[in-house]
Formats: sequence, structure tokens, C-alpha cells
Amino acid sequence: MKKIGVFLCNCFGEIGRTVDLESIRKRLASDPSVGFVALRESLCMPGDAAEVRATLRERGVGRVLLGACSPYGRMETVRLGLAKEGVDMRKVRGADLREGCAWIHGKNPAGATRKAANQLDMELARLQNGQDSMDIDIRVRSEALVIGAGPAGLAAACGLAGMGIPVHLVDRGSAPGGLLNVVTKVYPTEVSGPAKIKSLVEMTGSSPLIRFYGKTKVASVKGYAGDFKVALAGPEGNTSLRAGAVVLATGARLLFPRGLYGYGKMKNVITQMEMERQFAAGNVACGNAVFIQCVGARCAERPYCSTICCPLSLKNAMRILDEAPGSTVTILHRDIMTPGSTLEAYYRKALHRGVRFVRFDAQRPPEIRGNGLVSGVEVFDVLSGVTRSIEADLLVLSTPLVADPESAALARMLEIPVDRHGFIAEVYPVHPVETRNDGVFICGTARWPASSDQAIAQGEAAAVKAASFLGKETVPALTMSRVPGTKLGHAEANAEACTGCGNCVAVCPYRACKLQRVGQRSVSRVIKVRCKACGSCMSVCPNGAMQIPEQNYRVTGAMIRRAFREVR
Amino acid sequence: MQKKADQKKTVLVVGGGVAGISAALDLAGNGHRVHLVERGHDLGGQVARLDKFYPTDHCAFCPLWTEIRRCKESEAIAVHTLARVESLEMREQGYRIAVVKSAPVVDPELCINCGRCEAACPKGVARPIWEHAYPPVYLIEGAHCGDCRSCVEVCPTKAIAFDREERPIELDADEVIWAAGFEEVSLEPLKEYGWGTHPDILTSLEFEAWKAEAGENRGKILRRSDRSVPRSILFVQCAGARDLRLLPHCSAVCCMHALKQAQWVKRRNPSIDCVILYTDLRAVGRDYYEYALRDFNGNGIRLVRGRSSLITPLPGGDGIAVKYEDTLAGTREIRRFDMVILNGNLRPSLASKPAPASRPELDGEGFVAPASVSCGFVMEPADVTESAIQAASAALRTITGKN
Repeated sequence: MKKIGVFLCNCFGEIGRTVDLESIRKRLASDPSVGFVALRESLCMPGDAAEVRATLRERGVGRVLLGACSPYGRMETVRLGLAKEGVDMRKVRGADLREGCAWIHGKNPAGATRKAANQLDMELARLQNGQDSMDIDIRVRSEALVIGAGPAGLAAACGLAGMGIPVHLVDRGSAPGGLLNVVTKVYPTEVSGPAKIKSLVEMTGSSPLIRFYGKTKVASVKGYAGDFKVALAGPEGNTSLRAGAVVLATGARLLFPRGLYGYGKMKNVITQMEMERQFAAGNVACGNAVFIQCVGARCAERPYCSTICCPLSLKNAMRILDEAPGSTVTILHRDIMTPGSTLEAYYRKALHRGVRFVRFDAQRPPEIRGNGLVSGVEVFDVLSGVTRSIEADLLVLSTPLVADPESAALARMLEIPVDRHGFIAEVYPVHPVETRNDGVFICGTARWPASSDQAIAQGEAAAVKAASFLGKETVPALTMSRVPGTKLGHAEANAEACTGCGNCVAVCPYRACKLQRVGQRSVSRVIKVRCKACGSCMSVCPNGAMQIPEQNYRVTGAMIRRAFREVR
Repeated sequence: MQKKADQKKTVLVVGGGVAGISAALDLAGNGHRVHLVERGHDLGGQVARLDKFYPTDHCAFCPLWTEIRRCKESEAIAVHTLARVESLEMREQGYRIAVVKSAPVVDPELCINCGRCEAACPKGVARPIWEHAYPPVYLIEGAHCGDCRSCVEVCPTKAIAFDREERPIELDADEVIWAAGFEEVSLEPLKEYGWGTHPDILTSLEFEAWKAEAGENRGKILRRSDRSVPRSILFVQCAGARDLRLLPHCSAVCCMHALKQAQWVKRRNPSIDCVILYTDLRAVGRDYYEYALRDFNGNGIRLVRGRSSLITPLPGGDGIAVKYEDTLAGTREIRRFDMVILNGNLRPSLASKPAPASRPELDGEGFVAPASVSCGFVMEPADVTESAIQAASAALRTITGKN
């Protein structure tokens, strides 16, 4: 095995002033696995990386140990410099001798030196005992499956096709468009829903790269990033296909407000969506209209804001005032949710246009009166402190978007988590369309309530992220992770030692561990692409069968022993 | 390994915050080249300076750090920090961009953060940029500098030089993505907010740095005037925003930002009385409303709907008097608070750039007009999640050329 080269940084005295680097050098040099120990004034100044590289070439060492500063200091600068010089960063380890030793223990040089020696010993143990994970190349199927052909799914499909990637676009409806098909005006514009996505629908029809499957559902998805095996159930029976990535854009539903404010019992109580349908049929006149916001939203049962209902109501209110002169519209609201500049301007426009606003308290919701038909609404106006009685010829309820149970079923199939409201969870705010299962992306209202603009942006985002690996023939499993280059390795299951207890399957947050039948036994297998090397499986395996080569039991054991070893 | 020999573009991304970083990474991931221009010392923008971020309550910096490292590690991304765009010239194909690299007294490439300059400076003008800057470097600036040059002598890496000059560089790019983020607007013109009249009247970004766990108070909640523990803090929302005199827009992030800050105040010192004076509680993202609800349900943060009409220091300077109307209770109040945090005075950064040659066409409120590709706060007030989505979308539109 090639020897280890050690570089100790003096940091212009910042380290050497407190830590006895010479004694550390002697200690390390006596270790048989160490090829040489070099003391340097610095490691992060311009030109240092090239010098280090030259020394490494000359001495022919395979692995490198750096004794320098903290990763939040300049250690990353050092590592980055070496990486740019072509040094394999998986074979370089660093120990913090500055912030963690010299600086914080400035008054105790002997203690600082001991700590520095122990830390270097631990990293040395890692280099001595660690192995490299096998780097497996994943063959990428340069095709994508997009589920759902609403604005988000269309944007994702067209985005992918625009980058030259073939797309299978599946929708349970017969034509693309989703909820937007019934919208005759999309806020905050004067454009109709179908017109807004016209170019996307046209591209779907004309692009040779997009194949649309109408009235089709996804029966099953198996596999992992780069190669998903998909079965579709359509009008002409089952189709199977393979795709490198899956974009989930199945949308959401609007809450059906049965039993609320006389809905279902009184004929002139409708939802905003039914109002859209009336508009589509050319029926705008309505006399005195009263809108109620947050019907079934921001309550104990659904403690979230559905985002789109406030601007949607502003739009419909202005439309009534514009197209049916003599009508009045009163919006009964809690908070008006128009964040940003465009929507805030839209709200101001509605105020100027003559839409009436009455703020109510969730504890004192409006009460309707009337027999058979709603004739009026009593509401306590919290801003002026009086109860208002408002004549109503039409009561329109703004109901929130709720998760579609079909999306949750798909999420289970794709092994990605849903949040407690049934919407599909992203990985993290800075990774808003990625999921825990690499290769599966989410966008649109299946993710969280969103406007059509937001849904389209999310679809585009999903496309660009999926294309980043669909454009390649093969991707190394080690860089498949969302954080390329920093993945530690991946777990490996030792079939001999595994008893098939399933602990690893239960704890793996990425669903990378699976039980597989081998002859009479059930043993664990790791899907390398999914594994993020978190080590959970290692910690629960009673038999030591799960190992990450870079951080295996021998490494951990040796590091712990060295951490407490007496240093003379 | 690239299958298609399609045309690869070079894209200029202006701004190295969340939006700019995300756009750069998505472009690089698809094989395009990026010039990432940032006027500050390093990447991360405003979010990197935050103590915590919502709704996860995690430190803001860590998740961003990974992204910053990815940018620096990427061979396709050229990072230009301490650089500003001077002008863009449209060419037959793409743009020629004149960029000026500014000349800091302390070169961040060389500064090892040893602090010898701070120890040597008799006037106290050498200090760390801010407490949790990454990489941590020193800053020497200020009118009090006595030109003694003792810092230059003690600096072991020759990072300090007072005679550096600004350096122009020229970049060529096929496309430009604007991701310059937001900046604070002075609340000076709106006298009723009392901004600048007392050290305990802070903007929310000032307070974020003041209360930061990695900041000078190590997470303790203290008054800025005398470093005593405040008994009460008032958070005033929509300060300068949703206000036709200054900023007509809603800054979108401030409701959640104030809720977050008030929760952290309570977490660190439950005896401090926190009141949030809001107009509409805009909590629209995933888990945001529940994050807000945690406060309604009795951990002592009071939400009062209303606006303040006057914020003024009490005679003697101990405490601040605030006159406001509680519009839900219908009462007018005058109350004393120990600290007042003003929230909302954020505008897109490019609004203050006077030279039209150096920026895209803007709308009336200073946001980038739809003709140019933009993402993050310069396009529309946005938080981290929205910025990251818009950034990826902007990346796609530059790649496919369909804006």
C-alpha cells in the first residue's frame, strides 16, 4: 500500500506558536505507514497547492494528511487548491490544529499539542483503515416520465424536450391543461387559462420528443435514478417503458365545501371554481355578490393558507364589476394574502375598482340568512367594530387546494414522503423541487398550493434539474447525489453476515436498503445510487453486515482508540 | 459523456446570493459556463448573514455553505467576488460586459484571519467583516484610520495594502441572468418610524445580526443602547412597505421573518414581552402558517393588527414610546417598549443603480422588467424557496432561449 504524506501548517506562527509542531512531526514520522512529514509555513497561499502537488509526485505517496485549520477557516481553500491541481480529494483528510487547538487552548501549549496529536492520529487511523467505495457508473436512460399535464407538467415536459430529452407525458384526463382549462382569465392578467398554456400545449402536440398518453394512469414504478421501470395503464391496455427521471406534477383538488355556509342546500351558494365555469358559459351577471375567503382553510383541520384564493377572488370580483355594471362585490376576508409587488398592485387595483372588503374574525365567522336561497350575510366587521348586514344574490366560497389522494399513492410508489397535509415534500428549501429519492422531482400544486405562474416556474425548475443528468449517458453513482463530489461513499451489505432482520430497511431515510431473497434466506441489498452514506444502517446492524468502506467499523474503532491514547 | 453536441452557452449571473448560486449551479449542471459576479466579499448574499431561517429554524448558513462550495468546486463556474458590473454592451452575438474588481485594503485571498491587524490598530478600524462570515476575513475601513500603517507591518501574509487599485475586467457572455437580490432602504423620510433617533430602534436585518448566535452578543437578547436585557420588544411590520410614499410593494418575507425573530427571542429569554404589529399575516408557503400559529397559541407573542403612527424615544433615552391603533380591538394605545424592530424596508438592489448601461430595464418599482431574465428578489419579492425555484426556471429559459 502506498504511504501517507503529512503536511503540517505553521500558519505563520498561528499554530506553531502554541502547538509543538516539531514533536508532532517526530511522532508522525515514526509511524510505519507515514512516508514523510513536511512542515510548511502555509498551505493556502497562492502557489502552495502546486508545491504540495510537486512534493506528492516526487515522494510517490498515495494518501495525504493535512494538519492546518478548521473547514470554516481556510481548510476548504487548501482542499480546493489541491483539487484544482488534480489531487484526488477522496484520499485527502484534514485535522484542525488552529481554531480547535492553538487558538482555543492558547494558554495551555502542552494540552494544545496533545489535542493536535490526537486529532492527527485519528485522521491517520482513517487513512490507514479506510477503503474506497466502488465507483459504479449508472447508465442513464435519457428519457423522462412526466406525470400530470397541467401547467407544471406541461412546463416540465416542454422544458425537457427543449433540451433534447424525450418525454413521456401522462395524464388521467384526455387532454393536457389541467385545472387551467376551465379558467377564463388567469390572475393578474387578462389572458385565459388555455391561452396562457397555448404554446406549451402546441409544443406537446408538435414536438417529436413528447409523447402524450391521455386517460392514462401510472400503474407501477420501480427502479431508481437513471433507470425507472414504469407500467402505464391506458385506454389501450398496459404499456411499459423506462425513464431516467420522473417528474410528479399531478396537481391538487379544490375542497368541496359540503355543509359550509349552506353549500349543497342553497342553490345560490357556489365555489370560486363553479363561478369560473359560469364565466366560461358567459354568465357573469349576479347582482350583489358576496365572497367568503378561507372557507375550510387556515382552520384547525387545514392549518395552511392555500395561496391562490385571495388573488383569485380579486380577479373574479373585478371581472363582475367590469362586465356586469350595477353589480356589487363584497369580499369577506381574514388576511388578504397578496405578497410581492405584482399581487399587491393587483390588490390596490381591486380597492380602486370598488370591490368592498370586510375583514372578519375566524372566531366569529359570517352567518347566512335566507330560506332555500341565500338572501344576505351577517358579518362582524372587526375593523370598524360593527355588525354588517349585506344583501346577497350570490354567495361564492373560496375553498383551498387540498392534496389529491392519487398523488399520495404515487408518492408511496416512488418512495418519497408527503407532508401532514398530503402534499409531497421537497428535500429542503434550497432544493425546492428535488425529493428524497434522487431522480424524482416534484412541481405544481401536488407539491404545495401554487399559482399557475409558480407552477410553470416549478415545472421548468424540475426540467432543468432532471436534465442535468439525463443529458449524460452514464453518471458515477458517487456523484449522483444532490451534492456532487462531497458524497462520502456508499454502504455495502455483506450477504454472509446479514441475517435479514430488516433493521437497515426500517431506518434508511433514503429507502436504499432492500431485503432480497437469496435461496432460502432473505438478505439486505443496498441500492448504491440512493445511498447517501449517512451511516444509519451501520449503526443499527446487529451483525456488522452493513459497512461504508470509507468509514467502516475498523476505521471508527481505530479512531476512537487513538482519540484517547496517551500522548507523550 | 455528453450525448448531445448541442450548443453550450456562457452565462453571466449577476449576484451571488441564493438565487444567483442556484442559477449558476443549474446552468453548470447542464454543461454551460457561468461567470458569477458578486459585489460582496464572498457568495451567500443576504441569507448567509441571517442567524436563522424559516420555517426550519436551522442556521441559515450551513445549507448555503454546501451550495457555495459546489460553486467554487465547479470548473464551469468562474466566481468573481468584490466585482460590480459597469456596463453591458450588446454585440451581434451575446454581450461584452465591463466589470470592475474593487480593491479592498485586506485581500480576502490572502487574509488568514489571524487578527494581528486588529491588535495592532490604534484606532480600532480593523475588524472581522461580520462574525459569521465565510471565509472569515478582516476588513479595514473607516474615516478614523490614522494612516499609521502598523497593520501593514504586522500582517504575515501581506494581505494588507492601501495602494491597491480597482481593476477592470471584460467578460463575454451569451446571456445574462439578473439575481442581484434586495437591499435595505433608509426609513429616514418616514419620520414617524423614528429610525436613526435611538440605538434601540433597529431594522430587522440589524436586529438579526445583533441577536445572532454567532454575533457579538452570542445569541443574548440585549438592548443596543446599554446592553441591558429588554423587557419588551415591538416588531413593526410593513415599515416603509405597502406604503405609497416609499415602497408600494409588499416585501413578502417580513411577516415570517418577524415571527421567526420573535420566536427566537422567546426561546432565548421567555420573559421578554414580544408584540408584532402587522397588517396582514402573510404566511403562504409550506408550513408557514403553522409556524405562525405556534405563536397565536400562547407562547406569549402577541399579534396586534395595526400600524404605528409615532415611534419616538422617551425623554432621557430609556425606552421608546409607540403610538398605535389596534384595529381589531378598535383601541388607540400609547405604550412603552424597550426595543423597536422595523421590518419591511426592502427593495430590489438594482433600483438604486443609476447608470442604465449597467442594469436591465426596470419597472416602476425597480423590479427587473419581464424582457430580461431574472430571479430572486430583483424579479419579485421572494424568500429562499421561491428564489431557488425562480433561479432554476431562469436557468432553463436561458438554456432554451425561451424567455
